[in-house]
Amino acid sequence: MTERYLILEDGSAYAGKAFGSLATTTGEIVANSTMNGYQEIISNQIYHNQIIVFTQSSIGNTGLDQNAYESILPSAKGVIVREYENLATDHFKRISLDRYLKQHKIPGIYDVDTREIRHHLQKRGNMKASIVDVADDHAFDQLHATVLTNQQVAQVATPKPFPNPDEGANVVVVDFGLKSGILRELSHRDCNVTVVPWNFSAAQILDLDPDGIVLSTGPGSPENLPTSVLDMITEVQSQAPLFAIGLGHELFALANGAKISKLTVEHHGSNHPIREIITNEIFFSGQEQGYAVDPKSIDHAQLFITHVDLVNGTVQGLRHRDYPAFSVQFSPDGAPGPKDSVGLFDDFVEIMARRRDSNDDRY
Amino acid sequence: MTIDIKKVLLLGGGPTNIGHENELDAAAFERLMALKKTGAKIIYLDNNAFSVTTEEIQPANVYVQEVNFQNVVNIIDKENPDAIMATTGGLNGMQIAWQLAESGVLASNNISLLGIKPADLRKVMDNQKLRDTLTEINEKVIASKIVADDDEAMDFVREVGFPVIVKPMSSSHDTSRFICNNTDELEDALDVSFKRTYIKRCSIEQSIVGYKEIEMVGIRDASGNKILISGMEDMDPIGIHSGDSIIFAPTQTLINEEYQALRSATFRIMDALNVTGTCHVQFAQSRTDSNYFVTKVSPFFTRNTILAAKATGYPLTYVSSFLELGYNLTEIKLPSKYSKFLAFMEPTMDHVVVKIPLWPFRDITDVDQHLNTLMKSVGSTIGIGRTVEEAIIKSMHSSQFSPRDILPSVSTVDDDDVINQLIHPLASRILILMEALHRGFSIDELSELTQIDRFYFYKLNQLLRAQDFVVNNPMSPQSIEIGHKYGFGDGMLAELWKVNISKIQQMNENYHNHVTYKAIEPSAGEFLESTNIFYSSYELENESHPFTDKSALVIGRGGNQLGPNSAADYYTSQILRALHKSGYKTIIMNTNPNAVSLTPQLSDKQYIEPIQLGNILNIVDIEKPDVVILPGNRHYLSKQLKQFKNLNIIVLPPDQKVATYNQKYATTAVDLFIEGDEVLPVTTISFVGKDQRTDLRFINDYKEPMDNWQTDEAKLIADASTNVDTQEWQGLVQVLYNTTGNSEYEMTGIRPVRITETAFLTKTTGINWVNVLVKKYLGKLDMDDLREDLKPTEHKRSSIMTAHFPFKELQSGRSEGTTKQEVGSSLSFKNFE
Repeated sequence: MTERYLILEDGSAYAGKAFGSLATTTGEIVANSTMNGYQEIISNQIYHNQIIVFTQSSIGNTGLDQNAYESILPSAKGVIVREYENLATDHFKRISLDRYLKQHKIPGIYDVDTREIRHHLQKRGNMKASIVDVADDHAFDQLHATVLTNQQVAQVATPKPFPNPDEGANVVVVDFGLKSGILRELSHRDCNVTVVPWNFSAAQILDLDPDGIVLSTGPGSPENLPTSVLDMITEVQSQAPLFAIGLGHELFALANGAKISKLTVEHHGSNHPIREIITNEIFFSGQEQGYAVDPKSIDHAQLFITHVDLVNGTVQGLRHRDYPAFSVQFSPDGAPGPKDSVGLFDDFVEIMARRRDSNDDRY
Repeated sequence: MTIDIKKVLLLGGGPTNIGHENELDAAAFERLMALKKTGAKIIYLDNNAFSVTTEEIQPANVYVQEVNFQNVVNIIDKENPDAIMATTGGLNGMQIAWQLAESGVLASNNISLLGIKPADLRKVMDNQKLRDTLTEINEKVIASKIVADDDEAMDFVREVGFPVIVKPMSSSHDTSRFICNNTDELEDALDVSFKRTYIKRCSIEQSIVGYKEIEMVGIRDASGNKILISGMEDMDPIGIHSGDSIIFAPTQTLINEEYQALRSATFRIMDALNVTGTCHVQFAQSRTDSNYFVTKVSPFFTRNTILAAKATGYPLTYVSSFLELGYNLTEIKLPSKYSKFLAFMEPTMDHVVVKIPLWPFRDITDVDQHLNTLMKSVGSTIGIGRTVEEAIIKSMHSSQFSPRDILPSVSTVDDDDVINQLIHPLASRILILMEALHRGFSIDELSELTQIDRFYFYKLNQLLRAQDFVVNNPMSPQSIEIGHKYGFGDGMLAELWKVNISKIQQMNENYHNHVTYKAIEPSAGEFLESTNIFYSSYELENESHPFTDKSALVIGRGGNQLGPNSAADYYTSQILRALHKSGYKTIIMNTNPNAVSLTPQLSDKQYIEPIQLGNILNIVDIEKPDVVILPGNRHYLSKQLKQFKNLNIIVLPPDQKVATYNQKYATTAVDLFIEGDEVLPVTTISFVGKDQRTDLRFINDYKEPMDNWQTDEAKLIADASTNVDTQEWQGLVQVLYNTTGNSEYEMTGIRPVRITETAFLTKTTGINWVNVLVKKYLGKLDMDDLREDLKPTEHKRSSIMTAHFPFKELQSGRSEGTTKQEVGSSLSFKNFE
């Protein structure tokens, strides 16, 4: 077993054993406490430029399943776990976790005290980290000198539009680093989907005659994107029902005048209760969030808060006062995580249907 | 909206037996701690002779009677409670609740049933209604039909497809079941079955043998908010009773999509049944596709509900009590040691828990020992680790019968037997799996034969490789590191290498291999919860820190076996209470997930660790307890511990080996308490042996006071008091007599009062004898108080303790058992006229 190191920006170093790729990488380190769905987590583009620490102590147990990729070319920078099992369950018993990580040049370290790392990050907050062969001064210097790109969306989103045909409502999905769970849920509801690049203009989108528009999840800060994206949102939200998720939700908030702040500790898990304000009910969902909408900055003439996280108090959902446009910070598609709020996709489909039925005039 | 309750009747679980251990008493105990905060008056019904709960309630409010419908009705007449909590009474409690609802007793007395409404209860208890309810919410149940001829059977199979299981109805061979995979097999099975049935009917059902068995435990509040506490996976497939299966928490081999489907199904079921409180749902999950069936719904406390709580550290019983009272999840205030968010956060784990059942086949040999749909285990132990392998090894440490810290093996079984046992598993299941791997069976082959997921064989294989390395490289630092990583404690390494444990401790010191303790808490490190429940691992961060006050370590008994085990758990719990009262911080070490002694309210700190020398020494090393108490008869362990001169060890009750017998027969006993040279008579006992047997091995039932106490007691007490030598005997001592019935008594022996009888004495005399003993050995006993409380010859009632044996459950023909075969005891009182 090759010994390798996880080093953190604050000077900490952890020795562990290597699996997956032997690449040297740098990214932000985040802990994810969801117990199931390591495959969905690793392949989610939201982890672009991030090193994922699994608090769940054992991953790899179920191999990799063709139906559970959230993207085909994952962009995470590393996987840290207490132990992994190298089991393949596909038809040809080919793809194990180790092999998958090697294929995608993602290094992994196991046999480290992930619970201690979790405690450490909880106390010290977000920071950069590297996976390296030797934890010497040179490695730390490299880590400190590395500037992580802020062009994350451009690196992971599709550069060209593509269709996912079906016979239901016409949905345009704007790809900021889309997770497949969103497409899966739209497919289950027979939506005729067109995925378009993140920098499509409002006119390009509206030319596709959408019954509804989805702003997808994606990596990084919404403030890294040019304001043209916000202009696109303000334009399309008045023309067609809009459902924004994750990064899409943050952009929707920005477009409507709210501010965004970075969390001191990113929250990745599915253990926080989310309250739906109108019903007062609580439910759970996958949450992968580094940024949050500042509730004080919300212009209540335009938006109102629909959901909040009961643990850290963050805004989890917004709705527009004038348009059929709503957004959630969490992932209602349950890939991974609970499917308690998967009904939001039904709501979206229903809003599109109602609008189609009532009349065809634009607002 | 919360329900305003002034008086609540709480149903207990009754004597322990196969299917329920001390978990119901543990749940009732925790529930009591929660209810006390509401100010409601609590009436409790239970006749479990080893109940800890009954002692926490005003004696006037405890009904020591069998937990049955008629007794509950009588109590309702007398007490007029406004609510009943039946969920801690297990299935029996729910059946009584159903009877109360159906007979109109609840309605006519205006009593609320907490946890589940009567109309919804019917949906659970009536099998057909449950099927209808589940079908309505699109949850699949196994199709089954009673058929009268081959044509009907064929029609059914055309509908559901093969395989099916055919059973003759009302046959003399009531366990015969035929699995049929095709028409030929079905015809043969029907042929045989119709010959065997007296009523010309067979039952035929879809077969799900070989499916994965998955268990989900959830909670729900009156507003419909729900949390999944834990998912658990049985290693063994459907076909082996879940109670006899090795269970893993969290689930190991489900993909996210499957897991979420079962979680959502659990929630839909709780909604359909309007459960407020806890619900345990069992599923059969296909191995090849996403198909699953609901196999069991239990909206009450079960062993695995408690296991879910133990595995996650979530205060399930406490929260559930408030949910039953109508509180919303967000309204529940937890004790201050928990973060304020904890009650409504969904637990997430960063460790692995493995539960291994314990079977009674060593003590009851003449029964079918194969594991099948009939539950046979009498207890279980858990192993907790950061890795799957570590958890498996620790649970195996704890489940062996030998007191020595060795890995048991079945290397002498021949190849044919190995194959036979792979297909028809026995209690040594996991050892056979390892042995088969050792002999070169391929993983695919094994998975095919056993229907156990390949994942588990990968893990067992890793363990075998680690074991080989450790065995072949004795006393090397790398072996120790690998051993530690895979859960071989220092004690086991010492046994493997046949060296004294101190040698290994020395090496640990030299190479800085220090054990670390990790907290079991439900946020996976997000919050620094002080649940104070720990397990060991060899890692970076240690989270367990010694108390600054004086502390006491109590070494629990481990998993229940037959014999005085539930009594030992009672005894252990009382020791913890006594130490707490004497001003000690208390630390318990135990592995039985169902133990009352592991309830969080009973001690200041809990270690879930194998009860073995190495693990004990590690805890001693970190805690430096002022006193170590070893309850129960554990000669090997007490001898091992006594080698360490710096340990202040108290063995309670004192070693039974000091007993002296003239003959091993007795009918009567005088119980004495001896402090220094003062002898205090406690009471007298008559032994109730079946068929007038007086052989001590068969004495399981006791009556206090003795028969003919009015005439014979004073004389016998005087005789016993003069015959016992206070130089040799201290504490609770029993002087044995044999009589032929004519007031002539012959002394036959002297022995320390055993654990079961100490519990009995506490219940009958109203003096907590465990407390007295603990105080005596701590040098804190107030003899004046004791003298005043003791009234040895005043008797207002007769108390009887009757042992229960699991013969019927195991389908054994026996009717009377030895003390080593008892599974639990019931208590009853009769007032003298």
